Amino acid sequence: MEGELFVAFNPNIVMEQICPFLAPGISRIIEALPVELLSRLEEIRIRHSRPLTVYWAGGEAYLSSKGVVSRIEDARPASGEDIEKTVELISGYSLYAYEDELRQGYLTIPGGHRVGLAGRAVVEGGKIKTITDISFINFRVARQVKGAGTKVLPFLVDRRSGNILNTLIVSPPQGGKTTLLRDLALLISSGVGVVGQRGKKVGIVDERSEIAGCYQGVPQLDIGFRTDVLDSCPKAEGIMMLLRSMSPQVIITDEIGREEDAGAIEEIINAGVVIIASAHGSSLEEICRRPILGCLLEKNYFERLIFLSNKKGPGTLEMIVEGEKGLPLYSARSGWE
Amino acid sequence: MYLKLSGAILIITAAYLYGNNVSAAFRQRVRCLEELLMSLEMLQSEIGHGLTPLPEAFLNLGKRMNDPAGSLFLETAQYMKLNRGLSARECWMKALKKNFLEMEYMKKDLHLLERFGKVWGKGDKKGQLAQVALMQESLRQALAEAREEQAKNGKIWRYLGLMGGITVVIFLF
Repeated sequence: MEGELFVAFNPNIVMEQICPFLAPGISRIIEALPVELLSRLEEIRIRHSRPLTVYWAGGEAYLSSKGVVSRIEDARPASGEDIEKTVELISGYSLYAYEDELRQGYLTIPGGHRVGLAGRAVVEGGKIKTITDISFINFRVARQVKGAGTKVLPFLVDRRSGNILNTLIVSPPQGGKTTLLRDLALLISSGVGVVGQRGKKVGIVDERSEIAGCYQGVPQLDIGFRTDVLDSCPKAEGIMMLLRSMSPQVIITDEIGREEDAGAIEEIINAGVVIIASAHGSSLEEICRRPILGCLLEKNYFERLIFLSNKKGPGTLEMIVEGEKGLPLYSARSGWE
Repeated sequence: MYLKLSGAILIITAAYLYGNNVSAAFRQRVRCLEELLMSLEMLQSEIGHGLTPLPEAFLNLGKRMNDPAGSLFLETAQYMKLNRGLSARECWMKALKKNFLEMEYMKKDLHLLERFGKVWGKGDKKGQLAQVALMQESLRQALAEAREEQAKNGKIWRYLGLMGGITVVIFLF
């Protein structure tokens, strides 16, 4: 079993789905990048008066009109006009129509790619009202890696009953949690392999529009035909809403860790619904120390823990642990236990 | 004699038509500004109540309004929907040039309409509505001035054309 769950991606995703939303000066530079780089691209960073930078797993590059340059001084800085035009393009010339998204600090564009925005926050009554003077833009390329969950799925199914087990996926940022969650949603919903032909009804609470990559409420990524999505909804509230309204058999959500999340998880597990969630972290010891996650683990709510890292690129499978006794079922060092 | 008479009629008719034409330009300017003002009122409700994105809102306005205001909004929306990296201002300016540049009677208002291009799609709902209100105010002022000009000069030009024609005929014959 290979440690890496993910593979290289289609370079056309960047050309066809991201470039039309970039200011023409930047778009031309990105379009001229080598295919190998485009196929691994994860982020495009546009910062006012700072060098145009792209990131991929474990690497970064500065760009000029000639392509990748080795010295920062040679890179092309993004101008105010670049930023203004890019913001107009991603918001469809209508920033006013995206006030809720702006409050969260990002917009989603067709294709499910998330565009993070930062600038000057306008605060009213202690709460962020909007962001103005946008000076920093981060395009995060949403990649669907079909099959990313195939290798871990057998560990998440109870061999005797065939039921899906409550699972927590743990990794540091950009470790591939969301990609794995998305593929698990697809596999469980479609009903392949160990899940059985009929699949399960899946509900996704997608607080930050990352799992399903919804654009105007419609998922842009394949999450299976038995899946319902509650987009841009606070997790705890969303979990309860889905439970009441859509009768899911499995609920999938991203980045749990708040007190109210724990209450909602407790509620759905007691209602007999399976939860598959993710959390930031790097080891079992570390997440056990965290107040909310530690409490959930202590109560043995999660029957499986999956640890990912980005050692060999996003989605490097480090370990799968049995939740109750902490027994490793798979580890990158020794393979199958 | 018949030749002189027909020449005189021709001169008077031409002069009358010219005067009428100048007078009509004052009327057309008023009508056009009224249409633009009405468009902004509709836009206010599209943004304020429906949060309709600008390209869709412009498309709706374009379908409902008469030309040239209708074409201005319709074509701006079309440029926006092309998604070719144009800013809102560039889309607006392209449509403006195509529809208004050759209209003599709108020359005075062209700079005002050009200014509108700078504010499309910028800021939150409150900010965009405030900008639309500002545009409405500017248009109202321009409309008041246009109406005044029409009342003052419209009739004068019509009579002036006729009288001018008659004067020329008297001098010639």
